[in-house]
Amino acid sequence: MNWAEQIVKTLKDWDTSMIVYVPDISIHQVTSLIDADPFFRLVSATREEEAIGIAVGAYATGKNTAVFMQSSGFGNSINALASLCIPARTPVPIFINLRGGLGEFNIAQVPMGRAVIPILDQLGLPHYTLEDDDNMERSLDGAMKLCYANRQPLGICLTTALHGGKVA
Amino acid sequence: MRRFEATQLVSRLAGESPIVSNLGPTSSDLWHSGHRDRNFYTYGNMGLCSSIALGMAMGTDEQVISLDGDGSLLMNLGTVASIGREQPKNLTVIVWDNEKWGQTGGQTSHTGTGTDLEKVAQSCGISHTNTVTDLEDFEAAVSEALASSDGPHFIVAKIEESGGTTSVAPVEPELTLYRFRDTFVEPRKPGD
Repeated sequence: MNWAEQIVKTLKDWDTSMIVYVPDISIHQVTSLIDADPFFRLVSATREEEAIGIAVGAYATGKNTAVFMQSSGFGNSINALASLCIPARTPVPIFINLRGGLGEFNIAQVPMGRAVIPILDQLGLPHYTLEDDDNMERSLDGAMKLCYANRQPLGICLTTALHGGKVA
Repeated sequence: MRRFEATQLVSRLAGESPIVSNLGPTSSDLWHSGHRDRNFYTYGNMGLCSSIALGMAMGTDEQVISLDGDGSLLMNLGTVASIGREQPKNLTVIVWDNEKWGQTGGQTSHTGTGTDLEKVAQSCGISHTNTVTDLEDFEAAVSEALASSDGPHFIVAKIEESGGTTSVAPVEPELTLYRFRDTFVEPRKPGD
């Protein structure tokens, strides 16, 4: 089972069936599997803060949800996290393709990519960075458990080392 | 048309249907129109009211109503495109349009300088749209939308310029969310 398949399995294990995303070429390895699986409803948002809003709405009606985005788009989602999810205590696992690290070719991806984790820390939100397939099942399962127990968003950062990244 | 009177009308017509309200006076008006557990008041996240409603409409088969505002929706017009893309049959978006940002000093919004939100909705593939200016037409449009099973519906309600006419509703985001959610799922128990 590769990393993308492991994410899909973990989402199912946690009955997380509503997936909202803004397209990204690396995350596509996961969202394409989700799109092909009738267990899930995959919803395309136009912008990351909108994705958070849709996810909160679905959670409010009893659905577990997760959001997929790129690190640049995470910057678009900050106020939705700060003024909606956190005060309302909404558990939303956020899978973030973390650009700006090893092998990055695009200077414009570096500042926001490097700011994601400090911003999550400033917001007081837990986060985990996945560098390889080792222990993924345990890490993902633990992250989902913590997210729902804590009833707050949680960042799961996916690195180039994990998924191969976008090559210029 | 005054927003509070129109909100009272929506509250009466909605029955048990979930209602999501935009931050500020729109949420206060909904609270004073008659609090119920299925009112989802928002307190921040300007622009996301109808996005939240879209998520709800995909999470339940019940009719879902969004009480949005022109300035807020203009922040997030992409969500109108998402509603057009997903075509939730059970979603009605009502936009209170006073052509102003009422809470920040009454500056003219883009709907006051020519942007037509009904045309925006139509161009996003939402076929059931209205723009209404009086309470009678508003009641007819909302009644038709809520009785329909072929949404989404998008109603632009032109309202008088007004700030908050009702006192501020209690700000309790967590209580709002879980009070609302507990009407859809088994309430959490100690140890859950």
